[in-house]
Formats: sequence, C-alpha cells, structure tokens
Amino acid sequence: MTLRQLAAPPTSTGTGAVLSCRGLRKSYDGRLAVDGVSFDIGKGETYGLLGPNGAGKTTVISMVVGILPPDAGDIRVAGLPMTLRALAAKSRIGYVPQEIAVYPDLTGRENLRLFARLYGLRAAAARARAEEVLEVVGLSGRAGDRAGTYSGGMQRRLNIGAGLLHRPDLLILDEPTVGVDPQSRNAILDDVTALSGRGVAVLYTTHYMEEAHRLCDRVGIIDAGRLVAQGTQRELTALVGQCDRVRLGATGDLASAGEALERLGSVRGIAVGADGIELLDTDARTALPAILAAVSGAGATVRSVTLEEPDLEAVFLHLTGRSLRD
Amino acid sequence: MRAVLILAGKDLRLRLRDRSAVLIAVVIPFTLALIFATVFGGNETPRPFAYAVTDLDRGPVAAAFVDVLDRLAERDIVTVRRVADPAEAAELADGGTIDAAFVLPAGIGTDGTAAIEVIGNVNAPTAADVARSLAAAFVDDLTSVRVAAVAAAGEPHDPRRIAALAERAARFTPPVSVVDVSAQRRILDTRTWFAAAMAVFFLFFTVQFGVSSLIEERAGGTLGRLLAMPVPPGAVLTAKLLTSVLFGASSLAVLIVATTAFMGASWGAPLAVAALAGAAVLAATGVTAVVASLARTAEQAGSWQAVLAMLLGMLGGVFFPIERVPALKALSWATPHGWFLGGLGELAGGGSLREVLPAVAAMCGFAAVTGAVAVVRLRKAVRP
Amino acid sequence: MKALAIAAVDLRRTLRDRTNLVFVFVFPLLLVFVLGTAVGGVAVPRVGVAVAESGPLADRLVAALAAQGAGISVRRHSVGELAPAVAHGELDAGVLVPAGYDAAIRAGHAVTVEFVARPGTVGTRVGSVVRAVVGHEAGRLRAGLFVAAERGVPLDDGLRGVDGVAASLPRLSVSARTVGTDLDTGGRFDTTASTQLLLFLFVTALTASVALVETRRLGVLRRMLATPTSTAAILTGEGLGRLTVTVLQGGFMMVATALLFDVRWGDPFAAGALMLAFASVAGAAGLLMGSLARTPQLASAIGILLGLGLAALGGTMMPLEFFTPFMRTVAHVVSPHAWAVDGFTALGRGGGFGDIAVDLAVLLAVAVVLTAVACRRLRRELPGGTSRSALTRGAGRS
Ligand SMILES: Nc1ncnc2c1ncn2[C@@H]1O[C@H](COP(=O)(O)OP(=O)(O)O)[C@@H](O)[C@H]1O
Ligand SMILES: [Mg+2]
Repeated sequence: MTLRQLAAPPTSTGTGAVLSCRGLRKSYDGRLAVDGVSFDIGKGETYGLLGPNGAGKTTVISMVVGILPPDAGDIRVAGLPMTLRALAAKSRIGYVPQEIAVYPDLTGRENLRLFARLYGLRAAAARARAEEVLEVVGLSGRAGDRAGTYSGGMQRRLNIGAGLLHRPDLLILDEPTVGVDPQSRNAILDDVTALSGRGVAVLYTTHYMEEAHRLCDRVGIIDAGRLVAQGTQRELTALVGQCDRVRLGATGDLASAGEALERLGSVRGIAVGADGIELLDTDARTALPAILAAVSGAGATVRSVTLEEPDLEAVFLHLTGRSLRD
Repeated sequence: MRAVLILAGKDLRLRLRDRSAVLIAVVIPFTLALIFATVFGGNETPRPFAYAVTDLDRGPVAAAFVDVLDRLAERDIVTVRRVADPAEAAELADGGTIDAAFVLPAGIGTDGTAAIEVIGNVNAPTAADVARSLAAAFVDDLTSVRVAAVAAAGEPHDPRRIAALAERAARFTPPVSVVDVSAQRRILDTRTWFAAAMAVFFLFFTVQFGVSSLIEERAGGTLGRLLAMPVPPGAVLTAKLLTSVLFGASSLAVLIVATTAFMGASWGAPLAVAALAGAAVLAATGVTAVVASLARTAEQAGSWQAVLAMLLGMLGGVFFPIERVPALKALSWATPHGWFLGGLGELAGGGSLREVLPAVAAMCGFAAVTGAVAVVRLRKAVRP
Repeated sequence: MKALAIAAVDLRRTLRDRTNLVFVFVFPLLLVFVLGTAVGGVAVPRVGVAVAESGPLADRLVAALAAQGAGISVRRHSVGELAPAVAHGELDAGVLVPAGYDAAIRAGHAVTVEFVARPGTVGTRVGSVVRAVVGHEAGRLRAGLFVAAERGVPLDDGLRGVDGVAASLPRLSVSARTVGTDLDTGGRFDTTASTQLLLFLFVTALTASVALVETRRLGVLRRMLATPTSTAAILTGEGLGRLTVTVLQGGFMMVATALLFDVRWGDPFAAGALMLAFASVAGAAGLLMGSLARTPQLASAIGILLGLGLAALGGTMMPLEFFTPFMRTVAHVVSPHAWAVDGFTALGRGGGFGDIAVDLAVLLAVAVVLTAVACRRLRRELPGGTSRSALTRGAGRS
C-alpha cells in the first residue's frame, strides 16, 4: 500500500468549493448527534469522514444530501443552498447510501434505468447511460438478473452505480464497503480512485482507517458528533508528534494493566481492548521494558508486541483516547 | 409529474411481477365469487325440491294436480316421483330421501270434504312450505269455482245449473296475481352480489400494494435515495397513492369484465359502474393510506389492514346481510363496502348514473377525509 | 425434547403479536355472535307489506298475509322503503299492493301484486307462501266478481254471497304435517358456532404458515439443522407449534361459545375429539402450505383463498342439505370441512363417538397424508436432507 503523497489542495474558500458545510448541528430527541461540523471539499478532491460507528457520519451525509434538515448550519453545493426542495443542488450530487438502496425485485439494468430517469435523463439517454454504468461497476454480465439474487459485493456495486448515472460533480459514499468481501472492496476503492481522477469531488465516510488512508486527500476525524481534527493525512499524523504506536497482544487483567500503563510518563494515549492494549508512546523503543514490566506487574501476560509508525488510527487514539474499532 | 409517473410505473411493474399481488387482486376474488355463487345457487333454489305423489283417486281432479307438478318438474323447479303406497311416501319423507310427499285421497273430485295430505320432511322447511302452498293454491282454485257457481246459482239447489255455472266460472280469470319484480327492484342477483362483494372486499387488500410499499421503501433505504434525488418530495407520496389507485382500478376492471364474461354477473350501466368502482378505489386507498401512516413496519401495516378490511367488510355486509342485526344496521353506512353494494343495487333495476350519485359521493367523502389525514401524516413520513 | 422447544418458540411468536390474537380469539367470537343473531338457527323470515293506496280489499289482503300461519313475520312497510329494505337484507322479502288495487278489482280489471326478495331459499319459501295467500284472496274475489256479474249486483253483495256459501259448503282442504328427525338443535348459535369454528381454525392454521415460510427464508431452518437437531425433531416441532395454536383456538371457541351463547356441542369428549381431528387437518394443511409457498405474501394470499373457499364448499356457510347431490359429493371430496360439519351435526343431534367414527377416520387420514407430504417437501429443501438427519438422528433423540 503506497501512501498517496498528493499535494494538499488549496484550502477551499466557500465560493470555489463543490461542497461547503458550516456549523452543522443535529440532535435526535434532545441528544446531539452532530455538533458544529464544518468542512469544504474542492473540485477533484476526495474527503474522508473517518469515525467509529455512531459517530454521526450518516447524519452529516443525510443533511448534506438534503434528506434531513439540519437544526443549525449552512450547506452549499457549488454555491447553491441545500434544502429538502433544492432540486438543482440535488442534481449535482450522486448519493450512495449506507444501506443497499436498490429494488431487489428489479433487475440491475432496470434499477439503473429507473434511477437515471429520476435524475432527469430522457428514456433513450437513460438506457445508454445504464449500460455504461453497468460496465463501470462490472455488472454487465448479470444486468438482466434480479438485484435480489446478487451477491453482497455485487449489490454494493450496483448501489454505487446508481449514484453515478447523471455524472455528478460530487459523489457521496456512506460506508460503501461494509459487509463486502476483500476483492469487491478493492474493486470499489479502485472505482472511487478512478472517479476522483476524473475530477469528481468525493465525500467518503468510513470507519476503516485503511480506506481513508488509501483514498483520501483530506480526512476529517469525527467522534461523538464533533469533527475533532481535519487536514491532509500528513497534517494529521503530525498531530501525534513523534509518538510510536505500540500494540500489545495480552491476556489476563487488562484493565489494571491499562491503569498501570497510564502512570508511565511517556504514554500519551491508551485503549484497552478484549485481546490486547494499544498505546501511544513518545519513545517506545526505550520505554518498552518499562511497558512490559508494568503489564506483567498488573497480572497480565503479554503474548505479542508490535511497534508501528503513527497512522490515522494512531491519530484517532491520540485525539480521543479510544480505538476506532470499538 | 414526470417523476410521479416514472415512480408509479416502477411500482406497477413490480406488482405485476409479484405473483401474490396478482393473486390477491384478481385470481382470489374471482375464484371465491365463483365458489360462493355456485354454493349459494344461481337462481331461486339451490336444487330442485324432491317431491313424491301418491294418487289414490285416479280421477280427473287428481290428474290435474299431478299435471301441475309435472309442469314444474319440466322447468326443473321440482322433481316428482310417483309412489303407489302412502305409507311408503311418508317413509321417504321421513328418511329425507324426498322433501315432501303429496297424498291425493280417493274421492278428491267427488267428496267435498276430502283433504290433500302434504307430508314434509322437518329439515326441508322451504320445500315443505312450497309443497303446502302448491296444494293450497290448487285447492283454492277448485273451491273458488265451486263456491262461485253455488253462490251464483242461489236457491234452490239445482246441480245441473251449478255445473253449467261452474264451467263458466272456471273460465273467469282470478283478478289478482303475483309477479316477482326482484330483478327490476334493485335486488342484485346472487352472481353479481358475490362478484361485487368479493371485488370490494379484496380491493382493500389490493390497494395496500401501493401505499404500504412506502414503509418498505423507508425500511429498505430506497426512500432516502429517492429523496436525495432531484425529485420533489411530494412526488414520492403522490406516486404511491397513484399506484394504489391504478392497481385497485385495474383489479376492479378485470374482475368486472371477468365476472361478466365467465360468471354471468350483470353489473349494470357501464358509466355508473365505473363511477362506483372509481369512488370505491379512492375510498379504499384513503383508508389504507391512513393505516399505512400509523404503522411502523410493513408487517404491522399488513396485519392492521387485514383486521380493518375484515371488519369493514363484515360491517359493510360483504359476507352476510348485516342489517338483520338492528344494532349494526347504521354501521353498514359507515363503510365504503355498504355504499358500494348499495349503489350496485340501484343499478340492478336498470338505474343510471344519477341513482348512484349518493353512493359515489359518500365514498368520495371517505376518500377525502381519510386521504387528507393520510397525506398530512405521511408527508412527515416521507422525510427520514 | 427439542421438538417441544421449537414448538414453544413457534407458539410464543404467534401469541406475542396482538393482531394475531384479535384474529385468533376475538374475531371468531364476534362473528358467531353477529351471525348467530342475524341468520342463526330458527330465524323467522321477515316480510314487509306496503300498501300504496288503502282500501277494504287491500287491507283484507294484508290481514290475510299477516294471518298466514306459516311462520313468517309480516309487518307494514312504507312503499318507498320497501325495495331498499329488501336489497339491504333488512327484510327477506317485500309485497307491494299497488295503488288503485280496490278500484281496479271493482272495475273487473286484473291487478298484479309485486313481490321482491333477495335470492336464496328464504325468498323462495316466502314467495310460495305469498302466492298461496294471494291466490286464496284472488279465488274469493273471482267468485265474488262472477256472482256479481251473473246476478247483476255490486261486488260487495257478490262477495257476501260467496262468503256465505264458502262457510256452509263442504270443501276440499289441505292437511300438512312434518315427519323426520329435527336436525335443528334449536339454539340459534349452535350451527353458527360449529361452522365458524371450522372456518376460523382452518384460516388461522393456513395464515400461521406464513411464519414457517419466513423461517425457511430467514435460514433459521438451516441454522437449526446446523445444531445437533434431527430433521424429525424440527418437523415435529414446527407441526406441533402449528397444531397447538389451532387447538388452543378451537378449545377456546368451544368453551367460550358454550358459556356465552349457550351453544350445545353435544358429547364433550366426542366434540373435543372431532375438533382435535379437524385441527390436525388444519395444522397439517398449514405445514404443507408453509413448505410450499415461496413468499409469505403468497402464503397468506393462498391461505385466504383456501380458507374461505373450502369453508364455503364444505357447508359452513350453507347447510350441506341444500347442496345438489353432485355438489355434496364434491364437498366431501375436496373439503375436510364437510366431514367435520357432518360430525358436528351428528353430535348436535345427540350422537356419540359411534356416529362420528367415519368422519373422525377420514379427517385423521387426511391429516396424516398432508403431514407426510409436507415433511417430504421440507426434508428435500433442507441442505443434505436425509444424510444430515441420519448423522444427527441419535443426537436429536438424546
Ligand atoms: N433517526 C434517529 N433517531 C434517533 N437517533 C438517531 C437516529 N439516527 C441516528 N441516531 C443516533 O445519532 C448518532 C449518530 O448516528 P449516525 O449518524 O448513524 O452514525 P454513523 O453513521 O457514524 O454510524 C447515533 O448515536 C445514533 O444512535
Ligand atoms: Mg452510518
């Protein structure tokens, strides 16, 4: 996996941005789900919204695509305000919902033709475009079968295809790879890369660090409804500073081991999981003996130790004190 | 409007592909109507009454009575078997082999005090009543001629004069007769009744396939996708309602044509039937939409709608004449079913559009009220 | 007993749904009540008589109709409301004495009395009675008119003469009696209760098959098989669950109608056995449908069709006595309801086990056949079908 060292795009300034969100807020029954989220996406840029389940990613997306009115904040798509009835703004967006939102009783081809018509294409154009998209997402061979009979990965690809029909300026994908086999996931990620290469702006949400790492020019880290940091991957990893990431596979009393580790001066962040402990340390190489001693002193047994360069996962751990995965 | 048509077209296509929808919309109501009409009999009687006659007289008067029975037998209204022994006839009636037996005593034509004996099976009250009436009518006819002759002859009693008068009196037609005008008096015949009852009963299941799919779309996530598209938010709801209306209307249209062609139902003046059917579809759609707006899951909507369809059908008199229960009589008018069947009754006597306007208006009223409630509630629902 | 566990889950799933409870317990009772009140038992036919223009002759006709003594209730009705009342079922039939009835008869013209009835046996019966009464009146009038014409006196004098002669003249008469054993057990709810019991047991069992279709679709069946549970245990469990719901419903209806509506079911053990036998047929039919239908919607659609169709054919909506011999045969061939109806009728007449032996045997045989077919279907559908069940059979029994 190579890190894409793309030059950071010029910081988007409202007007030039394909998407611009300012101070988005939404609460469900008094519980804040999204709180003060602001970000911009420029032309051709891929922006990742990275956060664990329940962080508020889908809520942000729903407001951006105009199916959920925000409590506060402002959304502009190519300068046009987004509301429930903002048809012009909506026609610039290709939306790929988190669930597989296609009709299982229609064939793949019929699904795409239907959605193309609803995006405003004339009948003939819709037919032609559906074939193109089927080709793009690799479903031409099964286009005549009912979508309900597709494998999980094929359904995901059809789900994505339905967002590409009208050649949108902005493609919004909400966790498009959930529940997909590794091969299909690779294909999907390649598709997204190819699209952004053609100048399509992409808003991509995920809770997989690797996906954000592979795809995104800029990443916003979201946790409990707040955007805790955003920037290029390099900017974000810099936040962690010179820390190393240590992953301990361990058994035994991990909770007290965690407490013991927190008392070590060099430890910056710590997350205790079911089968081990992750921690950030300013200088792991020298602190390692102390770390291992602290763990075994607390009654846990270390089975493996991994030392890693800081990555987005480490950034999340650093910023929230928790691991992305649980 | 364009989006509405595209979406409704999609839904209709899905429904036609779905075998259970077509079953509910057409096949099941048609089959049940056919079964009911067969079981409950096409005409007045489900089967000819089975009679036996024992003629102990063998005179012309007895022969005339047997002749009356034979003529009914020719029209398949009764079957008549001749039995020599009155005890045997009684036994047949006792065992239920026949519904009733007539015993014509010796001297029926000569002895003024003779009596025709009618022995009916206790479990065939209709057939027994009809038998008794047949005998009574015959006796009345004979008696009235004799009475007329005797009364006209006056004193002194001259048998020859009486006989001559009787001959004249017999040619004097009775001034009062009974005509059955049921067909002209807006009483639906059995076939049409069951065809209409089943059609309107299942209509309330058929229209579900439109509105209720809104709930499925919400659960399946396609509603979110549709709303994120450049499609006016009202278009989705309008399309769903339109699907219900179109699907319901097609179902009724097919049923009307099919029951007319294959079951011999006669629905009445086409324009008026169309108006009634259209109004019924609107009312059913409205009622169903309210239920859909209250339910949280498609399953819930389905079972609530089934309960409501049964209840309204029962109160509307689809299964049996509810008006026989005085307490429930008024309730029949609180259902679209009651109005629909009532309206068709108006047409049975050759009524036209004008006669069904009250029924059409009542059903449109249902549609307006329920539709308004549903739209207000569902407008919220089409926003996630 | 894994089968019991599966059955228990099934039962709980059915009973947890409140709309299910309405269908299973409330609706049938409601229908027994309404139907029993409306058309049950010894309902007296209701006839409305409307007189467009009153007069001595017209009034006499109405009085004659009212005094017909054939067990028909006759009451006055307004002219305009007569046909609608018949059309809506409020009346079984209507008789309209036209305007100018008296005048026309006095002038020697023919008059027609109009008769309207809903199609059906009651209408036929009432029609024959009305014809007889009117015929009798017509005979008297004809004689009166004849006398008046012969003697050149007014009609009223003629009629007086006729009535005088009729009273003194020895006359031919009709004597009627009924024979046979009365099948009607008397209670207005009796027949309704047993027929509704059959109708609803069957419909419930068929619609419950939706659950089995869902189980199949959700792959729960496969998951169960992945545990050391034999196919036999699974099938027994599913069948038992279905049967329990049906039997619960049947028992509830029998007890409730006996308590609430005084329904007499006859010999309680024989009636219980008959209900159980029919419930087995219904449960087996549900199992078969659950094993055949591809989607839950299809299952419930066909459930409605079969539930109502077989019930109608089986004599639960109209007594089998009214069927043509051919249709009666058809009923017994296609509809298990027909056998159960026969059985309940026999019990209502005071019969016991001996009188319903054939009905019981037929029902049980049908239940066995349907269950066997359903099991074959389900087994074939299960992955690895027989081989897996052979592997796990021992475990399933433990
Ligand atoms: N319709 C809703 N009603 C109430 N709470 C909701 C609703 N949708 C989401 N939430 C809550 O809002 C929070 C954010 O949810 P979501 O945006 O779906 O997170 P993500 O997509 O990042 O997993 C969660 O705590 C979730 O439970
Ligand atoms: Mg989400």
